Amino acid sequence: MLLLKLAIRNILRQRRRSFLTTLSMALGYFMAAFTFSVVEGSYGNIIDIFTRDHTGHVQIHAGDYLDRPSLYKQIRDVESVVGKVQTVPGVLAATPRIFAPSLAYAGDKTSIASVVGIDPKREALTTTLSQKDRIGDYLTGAMSPDGYDIVMIGSALAETLKLKIGDELVLIGQGVDGSIANDIFIVGSIVGDKDSSERIKVFLSMDAAQRYLSMGNTAHEIAIVTDSPDEAEELAASIEAEIADATLSVEPWQVVEEIFYNTMTADKQSNKISTLIIMAIVAIGVLNAVLMSSLERAREYGLLRAIGTQPRQVFAMIVVETMMLGIIGCIAGFVLGLPLLLQLTETGIPMPTPVDVGGMAFDAILAEVSLTTLGLPVILVMVTSFLVSLWPGFRSARITPTQALQAV
Amino acid sequence: MEKVIETQDLTKAYGKGNTEVRAVDGVSLVIERGEFTAIVGPSGSGKTTLLQLIGGLDKATSGKVLLAGTAISDMSGRALSDFRRDHIGFIFQAYNLIPVLTAQENAEYVMLLQKRDKKERRARVQSILEKVGLQGLEHRRPAQLSGGQHQRVAVARALASGPDIILADEPTANLDSTTGADLVDMMKTFNEESHMTFVFSTHDPKIMSRAKRLITLEDGKIISDVRQN
Repeated sequence: MLLLKLAIRNILRQRRRSFLTTLSMALGYFMAAFTFSVVEGSYGNIIDIFTRDHTGHVQIHAGDYLDRPSLYKQIRDVESVVGKVQTVPGVLAATPRIFAPSLAYAGDKTSIASVVGIDPKREALTTTLSQKDRIGDYLTGAMSPDGYDIVMIGSALAETLKLKIGDELVLIGQGVDGSIANDIFIVGSIVGDKDSSERIKVFLSMDAAQRYLSMGNTAHEIAIVTDSPDEAEELAASIEAEIADATLSVEPWQVVEEIFYNTMTADKQSNKISTLIIMAIVAIGVLNAVLMSSLERAREYGLLRAIGTQPRQVFAMIVVETMMLGIIGCIAGFVLGLPLLLQLTETGIPMPTPVDVGGMAFDAILAEVSLTTLGLPVILVMVTSFLVSLWPGFRSARITPTQALQAV
Repeated sequence: MEKVIETQDLTKAYGKGNTEVRAVDGVSLVIERGEFTAIVGPSGSGKTTLLQLIGGLDKATSGKVLLAGTAISDMSGRALSDFRRDHIGFIFQAYNLIPVLTAQENAEYVMLLQKRDKKERRARVQSILEKVGLQGLEHRRPAQLSGGQHQRVAVARALASGPDIILADEPTANLDSTTGADLVDMMKTFNEESHMTFVFSTHDPKIMSRAKRLITLEDGKIISDVRQN
């Protein structure tokens, strides 16, 4: 109590200095909170766009398909597996997919194409494919009046093959039974632009893809989304336990998109270093103020020591005082900065030029306000306050009463 | 009579060899409980250094200091701090008070360190503040008090914890002669009432005359030690 009383009164004693010290701590808090909020928000946004674009939060494959994709590495009885996955708590949606390279013909034009078999309804619940810019209707699995399967193709492929809605498209590939896969399809829609990830894709319904590739009730991938993306790793473990099939591998998006995840983690680290530099600048300013204050009060500390105050009590007095300034700085930074951060969660920081992320326009950096983004700066400011108080604290605690008396 | 302060061949030297200066040079003295002693001498005679050595504020180069039978010259760190807190009251020439505490809080400070009960603290400090004539000024901070009132609060703080010895280093140096004399008279009254041992330094002849014992220092050595009526 005595320490607190002395700390509060000493803070009020040099109001202007305390105000400026608190202001720099408040600024430090805000800068750190701003950096964390923007970094977490932008990456949260990118991860959301990325995972909802096509990856999902968890994926299932047969064996090492993820590392070495092959037409023949199939998930058997895929409907049964999807059914089991959907019973796992936290799973919002799951959708099977088939992938196969093919040659695409239209008239006298030829192009390579990437055939993707999807369940249109489940895919729409899992990813944003159905919401992407396109010409024509989203895939339904329906056939044309002539009995051909309707497909959705990427715009680069459409441009190469000079295809329009309603035109015929011939695909030639290899079936999983060793036969030559070939069929005629009708272009029902053209999706994305020539730079988007769908540019040379041909989306078929699962039925059509299974028939085209002679795959039966199999698929190459099951993509799963959850309502708790941060817990994707835990969800992957739960799904693995539920499906209990050693031939299948279940991986979270961090493994599926390992390069992106590692790049993001490295970038986050560099942002942490930037934040530490900000805190170091703040710390130097605060250290200057605390040191100046302790030097001015050297005689006072000497007096306190002379009348029986222990060195550790003098040390604690300075630490408590500095930490209190830190607490006030955090409160001020929080109160003054929160409205701006909340605003940034809504409007974000506009990008000079919108960036295409997986076919989705990323036109603003949205902030994220959470316990982490607001709480971590508190820890940083308090640790900084503590560290900054150590030198003046030790220095003052070591003052001998004689020094104080000589100063009189 | 009980020996409260005893120094044995106490020496404090600064520098070495040809540059060595002995601020206190082989001082041996005994002060008994209840004495009201003035240490006098010209500036630089070693008064302050001697008081600092007796009070455990400084380390002697050689010799011993015994307070109430305890060799404080052998103590250090926490033990010495605690000993000072519990057995010695200090009154300094200036800068005696903690600026952010009121007169009452300043007077209570040492008792707070001793973890004394709040009721006991308040009652004792209130009574002492009345005795030193600061009734009604308890809640003033040092900046709102005169120099004389400052020293009275310092006396109150020194007395409040009930020490064996009160050491005062030129307590009247910054006061006008009347206020200074009043302060010493007040100290003398406490000495007579409580039999607390007072040792103070001064070079003011008026103040010296109020002491019951006069120890005169010159060049760090005792040149006279007289008891006066």
